[in-house]
Amino acid sequence: MCFQPRSRAAHRAAATGLIVLALSAVGADWKTAEPGWQYQFPRDHHAHGDFKTEWWYFTGNLVDDQDHRFGYELTFFRQGIRPMADRDPNSSRFIVDDLKFAHFALTDVAKQHFHFEQKTSRGAFGEAGFDEGQRLAWIDNWTLSSSGQDSFDLLATGPQGEIHLHLRATKAPVAHGENGVSIKAATSGHASHYYSIPRLETTGEFVVQGKARPLHGESWFDHEWATGQLAENQAGWDWICLQWEDGTELMLYQMRLKTGGADSSSSGTWIAANGATTHLRSSDFRMTPIAFWKSKTNGAQYPIAWRISLPGQRAEFVIRAALEDQELALGPITYWEGAIDASGTRDGQAIKGRGYLELTGYAGPLSGLSR
Amino acid sequence: MKAQYFRIFRWHVLRHLRRHPLLAALNILSMALGVAVYLATQIANQSANRAFAATVDMVAGKADLQITAAARNLPETVLPMAASAVGVSAATPLVRGFVTLPDFPGEYLEILGIDVFTNGPFRTFDPAGFDSGEFDLQHWLERPGPIAVTREFAAKHHLKAGDRIRARVNTIDRELEVGFIVRSEGAFDSNFAAMDIGWAQELLGRRGELSAVQLRLANPPEREKAVADIRKILPKDATVAGPAQRTDEVNKMLAGFELNLAAMSLLSLVVGMFLIYNTVSASVARRGHEIGILRSLGVTRTEVRALFLGEAIFLGSIGATLGLGGGLFLAKFLVGTVAETISSLYVLVSVQHVVLNPWTFFLAWVIGLASVVISAWLPAHAAANLDPVRALHRGATLESSVNPSPAWWRSGLISLVLAAVFSFFALSTGPPWLGFVATFFVLAGFSLLVPWSTMRFSSGARKLFRIWRRHRGKAAIEAELGAANLSRALLRNSITMAALAAAVAMTVGVSVMVFSFRETVATWINDTLIADLFVSPAANEIVGPSSFVLPAAVQFLADHPDVETIDTFREMELPMGGDTVTVAVIRGSERRRFQFVRGNGPEILRRFLAEPCVLVSESFARRHHVQTGQSIELTTPEGARQFPVAGTFYDYSRDQGIVYLSQRSFVQFWHDDRVNGVAVYLKHAGSAEAVTNAFREKFNRDGQFAIYSNRLLRTRVFEIFDQTFAVTYVLRTIAVIVAITGIFLSFTILIAERSRELAIVRALGGSRGQIRRLLLWETALLGVLAAVIGMASGLCLALVLTGVINRAFFGWTIQLAFPWRSLALTPLWIFAAAVVAGVLPAWRAGRLVLAESLRNE
Repeated sequence: MCFQPRSRAAHRAAATGLIVLALSAVGADWKTAEPGWQYQFPRDHHAHGDFKTEWWYFTGNLVDDQDHRFGYELTFFRQGIRPMADRDPNSSRFIVDDLKFAHFALTDVAKQHFHFEQKTSRGAFGEAGFDEGQRLAWIDNWTLSSSGQDSFDLLATGPQGEIHLHLRATKAPVAHGENGVSIKAATSGHASHYYSIPRLETTGEFVVQGKARPLHGESWFDHEWATGQLAENQAGWDWICLQWEDGTELMLYQMRLKTGGADSSSSGTWIAANGATTHLRSSDFRMTPIAFWKSKTNGAQYPIAWRISLPGQRAEFVIRAALEDQELALGPITYWEGAIDASGTRDGQAIKGRGYLELTGYAGPLSGLSR
Repeated sequence: MKAQYFRIFRWHVLRHLRRHPLLAALNILSMALGVAVYLATQIANQSANRAFAATVDMVAGKADLQITAAARNLPETVLPMAASAVGVSAATPLVRGFVTLPDFPGEYLEILGIDVFTNGPFRTFDPAGFDSGEFDLQHWLERPGPIAVTREFAAKHHLKAGDRIRARVNTIDRELEVGFIVRSEGAFDSNFAAMDIGWAQELLGRRGELSAVQLRLANPPEREKAVADIRKILPKDATVAGPAQRTDEVNKMLAGFELNLAAMSLLSLVVGMFLIYNTVSASVARRGHEIGILRSLGVTRTEVRALFLGEAIFLGSIGATLGLGGGLFLAKFLVGTVAETISSLYVLVSVQHVVLNPWTFFLAWVIGLASVVISAWLPAHAAANLDPVRALHRGATLESSVNPSPAWWRSGLISLVLAAVFSFFALSTGPPWLGFVATFFVLAGFSLLVPWSTMRFSSGARKLFRIWRRHRGKAAIEAELGAANLSRALLRNSITMAALAAAVAMTVGVSVMVFSFRETVATWINDTLIADLFVSPAANEIVGPSSFVLPAAVQFLADHPDVETIDTFREMELPMGGDTVTVAVIRGSERRRFQFVRGNGPEILRRFLAEPCVLVSESFARRHHVQTGQSIELTTPEGARQFPVAGTFYDYSRDQGIVYLSQRSFVQFWHDDRVNGVAVYLKHAGSAEAVTNAFREKFNRDGQFAIYSNRLLRTRVFEIFDQTFAVTYVLRTIAVIVAITGIFLSFTILIAERSRELAIVRALGGSRGQIRRLLLWETALLGVLAAVIGMASGLCLALVLTGVINRAFFGWTIQLAFPWRSLALTPLWIFAAAVVAGVLPAWRAGRLVLAESLRNE
């Protein structure tokens, strides 16, 4: 049930350049994320070709019929190469207007296995693209399609297995940040448009060698688009999404500075069971790493367990990785993205939850999603 | 015995060499030259082959299979079909094309449009750290200009990243940017640039088309099955094959050309062998007395033989080793010439690196040494068989025992007959290399006739001089004696003569062959090249027919009021069965001329223009065994189709042969009307300049086109012709050098070993002047005889080269023609060289110390 052994050289070669590109400089003809964006759905589930960078990020914690736990990540990236104004529909089909790549990772918690794979495609023959009818994004047979504004279908195949998931939103989309923008840096202009559907009921199956295993659980969907959101002085970020058993959710990110410490623009969102949101500023939460895991591939030290306190929410909890090694070693930019467990107290009551943690910029410098 | 052998060797051989350094030096030199020429030719051939193969390897990368379509390009929609075919693990598209660089006259770049997303498993070069993450993909993909050039190319033209260069594609200029420097390993052509495939399609005007799709197979051993499966989904005129196939094809195509070069280079080794035979026999003759002493002291025959062989091998190995260095030196010159010839006749190669294969060096050395052993064997054997008693008696001469037995001239005649027989088989049944066997027998036959001819010549000359003496008194006694001496040292004189004659024969044969070829081509051009102007994109001059004339330009010429009619020309390679053949497409006009081998010309031409049929060149017909009336099968996009052969014509443009199709037929089946060139027939020849100027004004402001008047094109054709034979000229010059060296060597030896005899003449009252005149007469007579035999054997050689080798290898009919002036000069320079060669030894002979030379009489 593994996908690709991580050491494959082809892997690295294919990945190379892509993430550098994803983080690289920007031309003048791209729109930047400005305050005042009015999110509309399903419109905003689709691609925003005027912005240089965009991703659709699905993560989730699932169990099979034998109660074996799985975590998954399926992300489609769009990286604009040529601004809309420069595109010529009559030119060679091999000319790349948008770069298309995707990551698929599966965590088998019971077997302590982590598998990941990247796909890249020119999409010259429509084998990859964005926004065609119900298909929001696809590369070969990895597909994200939407049916209406609150349900999605995911399909991804690795050499050893195939995953089909149907996702139905049990909560409305939540816009992060304030006034339609999620600020990424204290200096001006570094921002994105960013919303999540924080809880999607997920059913589907995992097919290994023709044998289907039913899966069910909950997913989180992030959709973010921007042009050059990262500032020069930022080294990376730590991002968390959590779905609590009491029906609330939490998203937090802290932008780490190259000089150490967190950027004051780090923020988060608390989502109440009824969908009401509370914007969290950097002063509203504190994240303290409490355990590290050292990558055998590159020696990076990832903080895979954290103590987090949100005084405003009267919440204090610890998150821990469900599996230590959930590193996507994908070439020049390697990151850790994996299933986590959370437990602690809120208002003096014990709370438990599951979610996903993303750690970037630990295995070498990020060139920066900067301009 | 071993220790003793080396002691004797030191005493007998090394001391002798110290005393006669000139002899040793000449021996070494002749071997060095032979080995050098052979080695240099081999290096040049191998370098050219390797350069081509390396380019193929670089482009084909690590592909297991490659899909190509010869005439047309592949429709790009083949790619997704091939990529999803069963058994294919990876597929990547490729677009190739040439651009010329107006800022660097004569320079070109082969543009490789690559897909970095899919070519990872195929990649053989690394655009600036693609795999290490330094590669700026945004830059690579975003704009039309950036290309990745090789480090060598950048250095050669002083370019750095970010510089802009003009590139000309189909006569239109585009701007490219040196965006990336490619780290390349291996010997491939540095004149290539990679760029993103999308922008390459745009640059080369190839939207929707690919040059190739490269495939990797999941299971390479099941290649045949994969090929069969893939073939089903391909267009009819597409082929799928291993990437090495192109290299194999080119190697096959070049084999004849390269074998010819190798054979020519061996000729100088053969001449060298004669010289070595000569010096070893001289050494034996001079040391007959020593041999007698050695034998009477108990040294065995085997040891004597080993002594002389050892001496020859000792000198030969020094010569061969020096020859390796000389070959390396000579190769540097030859490589460029060979590559140019291959580029203008066969396929574009640019040799950046001289390939030095240790085996080639070893082989050259072994061949050199083997030829030493072969040529030294007879004289060494003769030395071993010397009767010690006779050898000790210094008065006896070695040669007196040799009579020219009739066996010599009989074998000579048999050799000549064999030459004829092998020529016949080379032409009728093949293989073509039997032609070289015939060449060998021509040379051998004449060499074997030498003793007999020398005898006849000697006695004839004696009689003549005797008559002269009767009329003119004493003056001719030296001449008469000289003539008599020719036949006295018959065996060795014969060998000298044979060596000279072989060198002369080679010079004459090659000259006559090249001249005949040139004359034949001249006649052919006169009859067929009759248009007034020839217009084609200048790029085609540099990289072959890759650029097309814009339709507007064709129309402009057709519509010009001074133009009577135009013809168009297109050249490409098309699959024919398993082969690839060169096909030319012409529009045709009433004024177009062909030299047909047989048949009614106008009738053939009318049919060719009206019906789907082909004309084939003579060499094509010979190579592919087709005749007028039969059909050939060409692969059209709709599938294989039979085209009847309407006629066979003479053509000397390429030895692989060429097939002509009318543009009408080509467009009908291939749906492609692009042309590589236009031939313009004017109403009156005087308006050529006006039409040229009008065309230049409109289309050719910046030299995008090469425009030739009829006269200029003919000049250009002969420039290419002469360039093609440049290597031949080089080899011929070397043969002349060997011949002259041979003359000097022979006479130095002849005189040196006859000191005793000359001393007797002096003692009997001959004056110094008489001695000198005697020797000069001898050398002059030798020169005359060598010239006569050499000319005769050279003419026979020319017959074989033109009539047999050229036909058998290249399929060309060449009308024999003689360069009378240089033929008339040949005996003169041989004679002059002989006399000059005789001057120094003769002068030295006049100063012999009598007592020393006569001590034993």
